[in-house]
Amino acid sequence: MGDSKEPPSEKTRARKVKEGVKGVFYGMAAHGHVTAALRTRMYLEHLFMFITLGDMLGVPVIPPYYSLKILPYAVPNIKSWKQRVFRERDFTDQVF
Amino acid sequence: MAGILETPFLWVIATIAIYAVAYWGYGKWIDRNIWRSDAKKTTPAHMYMDGVEYFPVSRYVLWGYQFKSVAALGPILGPFIGITYGWLPALLWIIGGNFFIGWLQDYGSMMLSVRKEGRSFGPITYEFTGAKGRTNLLAFVLFYLIIISAAFIALIAVFWNSFNGTTFVPTIGILIAGLLCGQLLYRVKMNVFAVTGIGLALVVLSLYLGTILPVKLPWGTWNVAVWGGICVLILYLAAILPTPTFIQPTNYLAFYPAYAAIILIIVGALATPFTNVTIKLPAGPFLNDPQGTLGPIWPILFVAIACGAISGWHSLVSSSSSSKQLDIETDALPVGGGAMLSEGLLALASLIAYMVLTPLFVFGDGSAANPAHSNIAAWPVGAAALVAPILGIQATAAILTTFFGLVLVIYALTVQALVTRFFRLVAGETWGEGRFRALGNKHVATAVGLGVPWAFAVTGSWWALWLYFGGANQLLAGLAIMLITIHLARVRARSRYSLVPAVFMVITTLAALVWQTATFAYSVWAYLQNDKTWILRNVRPPIQTDPNLLWAAIVINAVFVIIGAVLFAVGLSMAVRLFRSYSKSLAEARTRAPAAADGGTQEK
Repeated sequence: MGDSKEPPSEKTRARKVKEGVKGVFYGMAAHGHVTAALRTRMYLEHLFMFITLGDMLGVPVIPPYYSLKILPYAVPNIKSWKQRVFRERDFTDQVF
Repeated sequence: MAGILETPFLWVIATIAIYAVAYWGYGKWIDRNIWRSDAKKTTPAHMYMDGVEYFPVSRYVLWGYQFKSVAALGPILGPFIGITYGWLPALLWIIGGNFFIGWLQDYGSMMLSVRKEGRSFGPITYEFTGAKGRTNLLAFVLFYLIIISAAFIALIAVFWNSFNGTTFVPTIGILIAGLLCGQLLYRVKMNVFAVTGIGLALVVLSLYLGTILPVKLPWGTWNVAVWGGICVLILYLAAILPTPTFIQPTNYLAFYPAYAAIILIIVGALATPFTNVTIKLPAGPFLNDPQGTLGPIWPILFVAIACGAISGWHSLVSSSSSSKQLDIETDALPVGGGAMLSEGLLALASLIAYMVLTPLFVFGDGSAANPAHSNIAAWPVGAAALVAPILGIQATAAILTTFFGLVLVIYALTVQALVTRFFRLVAGETWGEGRFRALGNKHVATAVGLGVPWAFAVTGSWWALWLYFGGANQLLAGLAIMLITIHLARVRARSRYSLVPAVFMVITTLAALVWQTATFAYSVWAYLQNDKTWILRNVRPPIQTDPNLLWAAIVINAVFVIIGAVLFAVGLSMAVRLFRSYSKSLAEARTRAPAAADGGTQEK
């Protein structure tokens, strides 16, 4: 804890400036595209989960036999899937 | 060396100094005393982290993202109309508007969304004004998007038609390079640096090809309509194709020339005492448009210069994605407020690019060959004049005007592609079910979202479209600040610092819409009294010049009356709902203790 009270060295400051500049450049050039790609993947995952585990929502899309076979692979994603699917969405969320 | 007072240099320094006071003085004060941002409070990015929409991002990254999302054509082209009243009022609005209103809106929208668990303006409007208020907002946004699209399609068409046709080949070059880069990146899985290198080499090559292979259409006054049609086809593809195939890589490549241009003109403006580039436009102030077209300085100037002073679009950006990725509350000031003040500097640089041109070139003389307020391609010439002495080349060099012209085109095209996609999504939300569900179809919605604006773009005059766009955009800003004010009233924080700007913006923009609507209504009335000059003034060639197309001039004037009236009615209805909600919130706040979850504590 004592270290944090010392003034940052020239090297630390230079590294911070470099990271800041890199961050700004990344934010301007790529961050929007990265989040857009993540959202596209999210929607595809939603579709996959809906097809494979649709009977959890009362919509059996594929026979339960295959759903059960896929279940072990889908389990790790169920929590975040539910969280995202149940989230309130609005047209103003789609601006970017 | 030119006298320092004859150059824009001192104005640049003064604006930077005032913005510094806005950020470190007024901004910090509002942040600490009104919003009471707390770095220890959990933000939605941490609370709902899912790695897709909600995740914490460094303030530097988010600043870059926010700036890139808000800085587009607005701060570049708004000053073109603003300087009608002299460059001094335009400069004062860029400084004062941003100081008291602009940054406050962007920052406040972000903080409001953060305090409302990352929700965007739709649900917040629903909470404050009920279901009718949200439907009202939806209707307003639909009209707003149509008007933006019309203004941008008109701009792209005019730019392709200007500069001796040198900007079309580079634009197509960037689009093809974008498509290729998308394939290399996502299919071939090539390294991003290598892809960027290949893409930029293609952009440079296409710029060179543009100067030696100009594309000129042979249809005279119909050229702009044809260029507009080509633009609509490109935008249709951009809106329909998956984003990683077209929009995403194209926007990525377009980023490099666009930001190189910004840096170049800011450096050019700062170097004017050494490059002998002097101010040539009159300082003003002129209380009315000297050419008698646009009307009085209030309210027109305040809607003409939107982004750079204040813009409603920013409130949607701040509350939709940036607020979900804010690491700590105290980052909202540098990200939201800082990005907006930086955009003010971009508007300043653009204003300077006009200031160094002659009045005749910028304003026109009102003749058929050089009509008033029509030379929207003036900016690249001014930018070239600022930058040429630094680069050691002639300001008239084709490569320079082509480069800056291309920058304008790609700014408009990339933003318009996103606007068209957004329109499609909003149309799906509005008409997805029920009797008009065909309008919610992906292809139909895109065709409507481009076809209607194209019709406006090729018939109405550019200044009329821009002022309607500015009116709608600034009204959205006023409504956004009202939402912020309602929240502050609800948590018993001092709301007058946002209430006064909100009232000013709502009254000014409604007045501008009334003025515009009345102008078009008067034009139709004058025609009925056998005076054709007014209706012809509001349209563009060939309708303006061909007597056989007089009926089209009457129709477009009448349509503009309807658009203005609808925008005014929807905006007024929304404003009334928000002001009612505000007074109700004030009354409720007096009778209850502040809720801890709102982040507000009782004012001492």
